[in-house]
Amino acid sequence: MSTNTIAVMGRSQGMVREARHLLFTVAPGALWIVIFLVLPSLYLMAVAFMTNGPYGLPQMPLSLNSFKQLAGVGFLGWSPGNLYTLLRSLWQTLVATGLVVLVAYPLAYYITTCRAKWRPIMLLLVVVPSWTNQVIRTFGWMNLLAPGTPLSNAAEVLGFISPNMGLYPSNFAVTLGLVYNFLPFMVLPLYAAFEKLDTAQVEAAQDLYAKPTRAFWHAVFPQTLPGLLAGIVLVAIPAFGMYVIPELLGGGKAMMLGNLVATQFSGGSNWPLGAAGAILMLIATFIGLFAMRRIGKRLGGGEEVVI
Amino acid sequence: MRKRTLKRGLTAFWWITLVFLYLPLAVVVLFSFNASNSAASMTGLSLRWYHQLLGNEQIMTAFGNTLVLAICSSVIALVIGCLIGYGMYRHRHRKLGWLIVLIYLPIVLPDIVFGISEMAFFVQFHRLTGLLQPGLGTMIIAHVTFQIPFVALIVYSRFVGLDPTLFEAAKDLYATPVKRVVHFMLPTIKPALISAFFLSFTLSVDDFVISFFTAGPESATLPIYIWGAIKKGVSPEINAIATLMIGAVAIAAAISLLFSRKNQHSRKRQS
Repeated sequence: MSTNTIAVMGRSQGMVREARHLLFTVAPGALWIVIFLVLPSLYLMAVAFMTNGPYGLPQMPLSLNSFKQLAGVGFLGWSPGNLYTLLRSLWQTLVATGLVVLVAYPLAYYITTCRAKWRPIMLLLVVVPSWTNQVIRTFGWMNLLAPGTPLSNAAEVLGFISPNMGLYPSNFAVTLGLVYNFLPFMVLPLYAAFEKLDTAQVEAAQDLYAKPTRAFWHAVFPQTLPGLLAGIVLVAIPAFGMYVIPELLGGGKAMMLGNLVATQFSGGSNWPLGAAGAILMLIATFIGLFAMRRIGKRLGGGEEVVI
Repeated sequence: MRKRTLKRGLTAFWWITLVFLYLPLAVVVLFSFNASNSAASMTGLSLRWYHQLLGNEQIMTAFGNTLVLAICSSVIALVIGCLIGYGMYRHRHRKLGWLIVLIYLPIVLPDIVFGISEMAFFVQFHRLTGLLQPGLGTMIIAHVTFQIPFVALIVYSRFVGLDPTLFEAAKDLYATPVKRVVHFMLPTIKPALISAFFLSFTLSVDDFVISFFTAGPESATLPIYIWGAIKKGVSPEINAIATLMIGAVAIAAAISLLFSRKNQHSRKRQS
């Protein structure tokens, strides 16, 4: 036997060992996620294409009924309730994301103008509230916006709401809750973008006598765009599927897609319809992920932003 | 001149935002010491709601469930996530794109889709086999599923930060793989493990939506109890229990942060 074949055998043995090592370390976690998340979500997707049976449980034959119901086709003709819920979710997501950008943008800029040693602490101060339970945070807002509280009284005096109504439950309260919940998700990527800002470009613009607004749009804004887009994905996707906030702050008239989906399952009324709603959220998520990947490539290391 | 007004305006904006961020939490904490039943006005300070907590059996059970769930799931996730993190590091030169997708899936999936998928799956599985009745068991499974990615990513980034020659040195020093794991790997990644454990713990205590959909009738956790109490009509006790949870999560998060900073420092020193 030549030394060459021994070396080859040694290598292939090593490869077997490496493969076994890979299997031993990665397989338990990978299997866990496949069994307890991939399979269940595939099952959920299948449910969307089944028919609604007794107790809301899905049954054969396959059909597109659930999607029709989501679009407003009911047993008794046109009933657009579900469609309204869908549109409301889109609208709330849009408004909340816009407001979050308006608040987070100056905030992220301000943090970068402060002394370097304060910046991590300032970021921490922005993030810490989101570490407490979502139900508790939303409960805090219920306390603040209920009828008879100072905020509600002020809104009443200013004529925004009719007497004794309170600011919650309402669509407004849901928007506020969403903005509150997602602000940190926007501040962090924007801060990362501002920190990397190339000030030479701004100075060049000033040297060329560009007005401040012009300098901003041409020298600053394009540089922060990747961070902004990452933030939008991080805010808009989970906002679209939000359940807790509209349930607590919205009342019956401010339902969002998440509530529609949950009701179909928890009340045991119509699994396929709920699953169809969940598929819409999945589609939104994958569009967001795809966008994120593209942004990540341009940003260089966008994956850090996710955590 | 203009710059100074801008800076002043931004400073004011910063403080207003901070008030916005902390006001809801402050209200909960404040009302937990309220002497009266009213949720709208403070009449005086008292600890009566905290006393009532101790006598409330449901809350005590929910508290126990929360702890059992958080500890069990964090321990399981730590073991599995640690293995996967090391596997990702050791085989990082292979094409593991599918693994990355798999690991990011639990992070990016909307909570409600996550929770409902698991619930539908567990319900049907139970109908077919009689196993996995919704309860603490199914909740632990669900929590482990969303904790694994965080543990794996923390452990992985710790390994990536290490000098690769350390592994060669350890190979020379310790004869058996077991000794290498016990005397080299575990001590080296200890800060990452502690940080990952506390993060998992925090995530578990923090979670509501996924717990809610995988829970059984007798496995309510504190967030689920609070949710039910809010839905039934607010009882001032909620403020007290919520205040305790705010405090506990803040402490756990601070510990996690402390260790992750240590982790970063030692990584900086090594590179």
